[in-house]
Amino acid sequence: MRKITALRAIVGIAAIALAASGCTADGPANSDTATIGASLPLTGEFSQGGLDTQRGYETWVEMTNEGGGLVGKPVKIIVKDDATTQDTAVSNYNNLIAKDKVDLLLGSQSSLLNIPASAVAEKNKMLFVCPSCASPDMFSRGFSYIFFSQQAVASDQAKVFAHWIANLPPDQRPKTAAYPALDDPFAGPAVDGAEKILSAAGIRTVYKDQYPTTTKNFDSVVNAMKDAGAEMVVQGAQFEDGVNMIRAMNRAGYKPSIVFQSSSPTYGQQYLDGVGAQNAEGVFSSASYSPIAKTADNAEFVKRYEQKYGTTPPEDAADGFAAAQVLAAAVNAVGSYDDQAKLADWLRANIVETVLGPLSWNADGSPKGEFLVGQWQGGVSQVVLPTDVATTDKILRWQGGVI
Amino acid sequence: MVSLVQTLILGLQVGALYALMASGLTLIFGVMRVINLAHGAFAILAAFLTFTLWRNLGMDPILSIPVVMAVMFAIGWLVYVLVIRHVRGAHVSMTVLATFGIALVLEGAMGFIWGNTSTAVRTSYTDASLSLGPLYVPQAMLITAAIAALVIGGLYLLLNYTWTGRAIRAASTNEGGALLVGVSVATVAALTFAIGVATLGAGGAMLSTIYPFLPGTHYQWIARLLAIVVLGGLGSLPGAILGALVIGVGEMAATNYLGAAWPVAVPFLVIIVVLITRPQGILGTRLREDAVA
Repeated sequence: MRKITALRAIVGIAAIALAASGCTADGPANSDTATIGASLPLTGEFSQGGLDTQRGYETWVEMTNEGGGLVGKPVKIIVKDDATTQDTAVSNYNNLIAKDKVDLLLGSQSSLLNIPASAVAEKNKMLFVCPSCASPDMFSRGFSYIFFSQQAVASDQAKVFAHWIANLPPDQRPKTAAYPALDDPFAGPAVDGAEKILSAAGIRTVYKDQYPTTTKNFDSVVNAMKDAGAEMVVQGAQFEDGVNMIRAMNRAGYKPSIVFQSSSPTYGQQYLDGVGAQNAEGVFSSASYSPIAKTADNAEFVKRYEQKYGTTPPEDAADGFAAAQVLAAAVNAVGSYDDQAKLADWLRANIVETVLGPLSWNADGSPKGEFLVGQWQGGVSQVVLPTDVATTDKILRWQGGVI
Repeated sequence: MVSLVQTLILGLQVGALYALMASGLTLIFGVMRVINLAHGAFAILAAFLTFTLWRNLGMDPILSIPVVMAVMFAIGWLVYVLVIRHVRGAHVSMTVLATFGIALVLEGAMGFIWGNTSTAVRTSYTDASLSLGPLYVPQAMLITAAIAALVIGGLYLLLNYTWTGRAIRAASTNEGGALLVGVSVATVAALTFAIGVATLGAGGAMLSTIYPFLPGTHYQWIARLLAIVVLGGLGSLPGAILGALVIGVGEMAATNYLGAAWPVAVPFLVIIVVLITRPQGILGTRLREDAVA
């Protein structure tokens, strides 16, 4: 009897020990490490941006660890692939929080994925700094832990460009415009914002339509814009659709004098490879970043990125790096990440210097600044507007000709 | 009127690419009764092979077509021997699952080898056009149409004027009868699968010159290709050509006259309409199991 009781006690203790060790195994691998979790579209339609963002995150982790870590702890990042699907992004963030028990979160890539993913962070009261979530829908839900680490939301993305066009002398200003846009929470508002300003300036809308993410063939869209006689094209694009559009415009011999694309041209060398340098010449884009900007840590970031990946950092990589800078600024200022409401409060009250420039936020987490306007010139992505931060004073029409 | 003619030109040209890609799918179904869900993934694989030959060896995509077709033939044969052979006589759901599995493996392998980033082949003719007054004819698509005519014409000659073709048609029409007259149905099936994948090699090569591609895009292609062969009649080569041209023109017309959101719906609408009104497709024939008892 005594033997049986002892055996039960041993089994009981063993069970408790196993349960306890199980809890430990589910927790952070090492409490002396600051673990950051993120889900990114490493495969699927948005993989181009997702992979670049991952590189930005990883470059930041490497540089931060060399500089002593985050609040004295080495940083580890867990990145999961969401395959450009919303359900997987949600599942990934749930797993990062519940199973991996990460200390901090960084956002996914694109508003499409961040809108549902950020709801998981909000429910768990965790700070969610997203590098690419410009849709106004992100900030209309009364959330208090969500911050977008670029300069402006999508509806203001083409604002500087549109005001510049609207203020051109009448003989240089296009009279008609076409607005094709990806059916996406980011691309649509970017085009709507531009159209509002340009229409008010008397530039007539002759074509406006949205296409799904699966659209491959743009010949017919281009045919319709050409038939409508659009002198300017303002496209709300991600990556592949922007490349396809330029190629279809070339095939059709359609040469609008002004071409603006919201994201595609910011993919650096990949964009040039996709459309060809001569076809990129003069394409405008809204830009959050310039590799030659004299912003916080940018020179070091560019140097390290080039060493690691053999290419100049594209915008999404810089956006990822900047998101991590924002997260780190809040954690370092508060002194810990135990109370993430404090981190959010700190961000709402302060300005953070990043590789994109200084960033600050409204109460809803939307940024307060304005986007830069970039343009491809001679195979180099230049900042052309606003003029006080421009890297060149020359502004071109599409495929050549100074304005 | 100009707009309508331009829409027709673009639609027929896109349809030619679709026909080139769908011909192998319908051939495989016609002979083996296998719905090859990996067909889109094989197309993307051929596009990546073309890209590799173009980037590393400077080989023009048109000149690389025989090489790509040969490699795809070998891959098709291998996949048949390793996977399809074991499920060929099984219920259709087994072949669907098996080929879907092949598609996923191919997608993963392509992502591992070439990465999951958008890739494109650009040559002097990829973005150029011929002008015909107010109309334009994209050169890459015109070349694609010519290659489609050559490859599909070659396939037609092979099927109708060679012993191999007769064996394939015999196995397709009556497998038991073919066995009785000495046709090795197993070898014919392997050959058919390999030929189907090889013709797709030409389609994938030309696809790479017209559209950017990445491993995950095969889902979009298989949906479209299935709609084409269902419309034309599963197993019918002329039906696949007709279906491809109808879908191509339909997509272009939908974009032009209904809106850019509609072309994606066209293939699915076609499948629904065909299944309701003419389940055997335009040029398909009713199978014995379709008959009402």
